[in-house]
Amino acid sequence: MSRIVSIHSFRGGTGKSNTTANVAALLAAEGRRVGVVDTDILSPGIHVLFGLDQDAVGNSLNSYLWGRCTMPEAAYEVTPATLGGDGRIWLVPSSVAAQDIARVMHDGYDVGRLGDGFRTLIDELGLDVLILDTHPGLNEETLLAIAMSDALAIVLRPDHQDYEGTQVTVTVARKLAVPTMVLVVNKTPAVFDEDEVRERVEKAYDCRVATVVPHSDELMALSSGGVFAVDHPDHPVTDRYRGLAAELMS
Amino acid sequence: MSEQRTGTVLVIDDDPTNRLLLRRGLEREGLRVETAADGVEALERLARPGIDLVLLDLLMPRLNGHEVLARMRADSRLRHVPVIVVSGADETAEAVRCIELGADDFLPKPFDPVLLRARIGAGLSRKWLRDVEQDYLEQVGLVVRAAGEVEAGTFEAASLDTVATRDDALGGLARTFQTMAREVRAREQRLERQVGAMRIEIDQARAARRVAEITETDYFADLQRKAASLRSGERGTEST
Repeated sequence: MSRIVSIHSFRGGTGKSNTTANVAALLAAEGRRVGVVDTDILSPGIHVLFGLDQDAVGNSLNSYLWGRCTMPEAAYEVTPATLGGDGRIWLVPSSVAAQDIARVMHDGYDVGRLGDGFRTLIDELGLDVLILDTHPGLNEETLLAIAMSDALAIVLRPDHQDYEGTQVTVTVARKLAVPTMVLVVNKTPAVFDEDEVRERVEKAYDCRVATVVPHSDELMALSSGGVFAVDHPDHPVTDRYRGLAAELMS
Repeated sequence: MSEQRTGTVLVIDDDPTNRLLLRRGLEREGLRVETAADGVEALERLARPGIDLVLLDLLMPRLNGHEVLARMRADSRLRHVPVIVVSGADETAEAVRCIELGADDFLPKPFDPVLLRARIGAGLSRKWLRDVEQDYLEQVGLVVRAAGEVEAGTFEAASLDTVATRDDALGGLARTFQTMAREVRAREQRLERQVGAMRIEIDQARAARRVAEITETDYFADLQRKAASLRSGERGTEST
């Protein structure tokens, strides 16, 4: 059985794409066939983490939405060479070309096509899991992604700027009856007490916190290269992402 | 040793010649000398700090040496100032009486200058050691008080700055204490910041309005229906 998982945050800058990439890598490391779609059409970015050179990219999610290709034709295998095992990762990137982003903003697109594309992608690539890296906020494609998801991870930072938007997202996701919903408290200052953070956040949103990921300069330096979990499989932070991945699949 | 053997000696004698001779002799030894002509004058001078040792004659007008000695030993501030009695009465009974009154030493007149010098030196050494000990105990007291202040949350690390300049174990203790207290304070401040950052106060009414703006649309109602059928469809697919 295949699963659709959305990784979302109400505001940008929470580390949503990093979380997506790490979860994807860890699921693939367990031998799964993983698809990742960058549905953040207005500010794409996850391709960088997977080392996909956009100049070499022909089709993108934009091409699919404008009817120029199928979604599988816009998928690129980005399985890290060091991953090992049978797991694989495909990425459907959004175009970083300014005119493409401008066209999306100006003309919009048929959001309904997204859902069909996801299904085709799952079937043709034989995916075990499809992970959707969403655009911050709650626009139509994000709502669609959430509505289609079996599991949703909402990423927030322990910061006042993120609290209310997270409440809105949690409430909306409940109305869409997402079967599994967890919170990820990301970029937590290393001096914060993790158990305290977890307890307060769970209480505030009445929603399970899957993991609390610390933030430090050391982590920033280590993760600048690519997908943290691939480069540092034995790091304690990778274990947190592993826990999150397991919850999203359960 | 020279440091601990200097100091200010108060010569108490009603005989001006004796005072003069003693002053000259002691000043040659590098000591500072002050004089008093009787017990009353002596106690007036002793009421102010600065005297490290007393040379005391016994027979004086107004207030005799025994009385001065008794009053000094009854005064907590003067109890530890060494007193050497220099007396014309060369009697064992007198020496015993003075020592019982609290004199540190007894020298009969005429005194042997070498012996006097040695005894003054020994007295000043005792005084110096006691001052050092006293200073040490006061600084230990500061550290102990600081511990209480830390408990009460009123500790200022700067209050141990003086103790921390010592190059002995107590100084090390004070420096460690300052470091620990600063770390504790820094940790408290971090926790305060954390508590501030983690105070999750959500304007529920405003959040509800924002939710309504999203959910009270035809698109959303349609999505809800689709989501429901998608999921039931998925289950149907899986079961076949």
